[in-house]
Amino acid sequence: MSSPTGRAERLVRWYPAAWRMRYAEEFVELLAADIAERPVSWRRTIDIARNGLAARLGRGGLVHGLEPGRRAQASMASLASASSVFLIVGLAMWSQLAIGWQWSRPATQGTAVAVVLMTYLVLAFGLWALLAAAPYAWACARRLLRGEAKGILFPLFLLGLAAAGMVIGARHFATGWPGTGGHPWVHQHLVPGSLAAPAWASTLSITSYWAHPGALLGFPATEVAWMAASPAALVCFIVAAAQLIRRVELSPRTLRFELAVARLGCVAMIGFVVAPCLWILGGGAGPRNLFHIGAIDLVDLGVMGAMLIVACSSSRQVRAAVAHLCD
Amino acid sequence: MRTKAPPDQLEKFGRFAGPATLILSSLADGSKHGWALTKDIEEFAGIRLAPGTLYEALNRLEGLGLIEGMPSEDRRRPYRLTSAGAVALADHLAAQRRIVNVGLRRLRTSGGTA
Repeated sequence: MSSPTGRAERLVRWYPAAWRMRYAEEFVELLAADIAERPVSWRRTIDIARNGLAARLGRGGLVHGLEPGRRAQASMASLASASSVFLIVGLAMWSQLAIGWQWSRPATQGTAVAVVLMTYLVLAFGLWALLAAAPYAWACARRLLRGEAKGILFPLFLLGLAAAGMVIGARHFATGWPGTGGHPWVHQHLVPGSLAAPAWASTLSITSYWAHPGALLGFPATEVAWMAASPAALVCFIVAAAQLIRRVELSPRTLRFELAVARLGCVAMIGFVVAPCLWILGGGAGPRNLFHIGAIDLVDLGVMGAMLIVACSSSRQVRAAVAHLCD
Repeated sequence: MRTKAPPDQLEKFGRFAGPATLILSSLADGSKHGWALTKDIEEFAGIRLAPGTLYEALNRLEGLGLIEGMPSEDRRRPYRLTSAGAVALADHLAAQRRIVNVGLRRLRTSGGTA
């Protein structure tokens, strides 16, 4: 068995780097003394696993752990990241349902309500994203005009590059949206195809086709390349946005506005989780199997649920930090 | 002059309220490093704080300015109580004592039976 100090040093690696910078040396000394006295202790291992995880979540602003100013920024970044992942997965699900609606009205009330609700919520999300981004855009512009670009230039560049890549790719592949050309007598115009087509193209990578490589081989090579490359652009976009949020300081008053917007967003997200449940529980495959419920939809719903929990938790941390800053 | 601390300062610690009270009580008679805190708390309270819990509580107490780290001694950093920490501990213990007094008085009145 290795020395107590060696074991202690390995255990401390579970903590985030910033925490280790501050406490590692003294913590290793304490752990080594504890290990020397009690060589085997499951309680100690679980305690370190639990508190190391809490320290990591704290760095992400998901639980208590940072001073209020940085906590507000970290929590806002986590909130934005979780909301973005939620929206991407939600758009993938909604655009698939929109394809079905363009071809035929759903046979069940549950599916119809789900698609209409999701359509309005997608529009609400667009407005919500603009409201949430506006103060950050303004703060970035002010910093750039003042010549204080250090720290935000690279995330801005990455954000712009990723957004440009997504817009160009989505516009190109949106022309292949399968929702066009529906039956002329059905209610195809209830769902805005001009919105669903780019949403579908942006989220082509979220598909069960990855589990069927044989079917993928029948796709055009450029489409498969886009399906593989677009997630990288989406990840770059989210990472860059999170970095910007962490590096831009907002006044407590503006943070209060952001908190109000975040709460609205969480309510909309709850609605967006309820809608697919209506489809899954009360819907069905529908005419010509257009509203088929697959394993990918259940996975999507699980991801959206998890992101909703992260967003709500982050929102609570923002509220606590704002309350502290306004005291 | 005695500075007034928020009365529920330690209650905000959630699951760390207990460890925080034990740490502040241990530091009330002088500065101690992590291992000395562990042994002292074990001696006076019969509770052995696990290392991760101890340092998470120290981190929070330091963040709120209730304790402060002193210069490191041979890779061990001692911590000491700040004046805000002393006030927070006194307020918290006074609140606990009120609860203890009520509980004991009621037990005496009822003769120790429910």
